Amino acid sequence: MFKKLKRLFANLFGKKDEIKLGIYGPPNTGKTTLANRISEEFTGEEMGTASEVPHETRVVQKKEKVRLQSNGKEISMNLLDMPGISTKVDYKEFVEHGINEDEAKVRSKEATKGVVEAIKWLDKVDAVLVVFDSTEDPYTQVNVTILGNLEAKDIPIILVANKTDLDDAEPESIKDAFPQYNFTKISAKEKENMEDLYKKVVESV
Amino acid sequence: MAKKKKKKDGVKIEFLSKLRLQEKAFEEKLDLIMDSVKDENILVLEEALNAEEKAQLIEKSMEECDEDFPGVEFSGFDSRENWFERILASITGKEKKDGLLIVGSSDVMEKVKEDKDAISMIAKLE
Ligand SMILES: Nc1nc2c(ncn2[C@@H]2O[C@H](COP(=O)(O)OP(=O)(O)OP(=O)(O)O)[C@@H](O)[C@H]2O)c(=O)[nH]1
Ligand SMILES: [Mg+2]
Repeated sequence: MFKKLKRLFANLFGKKDEIKLGIYGPPNTGKTTLANRISEEFTGEEMGTASEVPHETRVVQKKEKVRLQSNGKEISMNLLDMPGISTKVDYKEFVEHGINEDEAKVRSKEATKGVVEAIKWLDKVDAVLVVFDSTEDPYTQVNVTILGNLEAKDIPIILVANKTDLDDAEPESIKDAFPQYNFTKISAKEKENMEDLYKKVVESV
Repeated sequence: MAKKKKKKDGVKIEFLSKLRLQEKAFEEKLDLIMDSVKDENILVLEEALNAEEKAQLIEKSMEECDEDFPGVEFSGFDSRENWFERILASITGKEKKDGLLIVGSSDVMEKVKEDKDAISMIAKLE
């Protein structure tokens, strides 16, 4: 409510601020892969590095003036690819991915800072895509916490069930766990159903 | 100065009643939780955390995370307020905290399965 008023005033005084679209979720769900798809489609450039090692994104990645078009509408936005949010970071997990111990410890420290940064951004974004890995159990405290905070702040949310190309994907389980939100299922990697996502973004912001 | 973790015989589980919790500010509760989980205890609070409080718990865990403390695992039942109770709470500033929180260091606790009405956890014995 307050957010909407603020935007209305900003527009009245001719200060057209861009919509800040945050991409949130636990580590490794495909946020950066999705951010790259969107950015590539509407600016021609990718915006970050995706990796099978969790906590690849440890600092918020921004792409300004992304003009998203769908259904004859256009919105100009700042795309914000967030570090994955988790309740724990264990350097040993990075070592298991073949990173040497010293580097793994540095990566851990950066990862914890990234999580804090992502949480701090929760009340600065205007709309959010919450990205899920459709092969994983969606009902987790991290997801409940992200959604609860956005809802308390009246920030529009679209649930994005990603990785639908995988055999054991169960995108519908995400909808069942959180039935009250806008929902779409995609494969960011295989570029499946992206049009539906764009349509929902344009509709909901 | 890498301190070696002291070996323990088992996992200590602490329960805190809502009576014990109700006079405490959230910051106090957060300190209490962190002290306890860093001591490798599992803590059960007879109280639910709201979304902002959960975010603060995650933030604090990340700030305190290091080689000896990898962070937390937590789970719980949230109080389910209806819209009327929510509006009332926003007017009176008193929110319903009915529910439960179980929290431990991710070194000693592992989540198995969780949904709105049932949780299962494993206490790791190493
Ligand atoms: N099969 C499949 N894999 C995907 C898809 N999207 C992303 N991935 C893979 O999942 C892994 C993680 O992708 P990222 O985009 O780095 O994930 P992230 O959410 O940004 O991860 P963090 O930055 O660590 O939080 C990579 O190996 C991607 O190639 C998808 O739609 N299908
Ligand atoms: Mg990323």
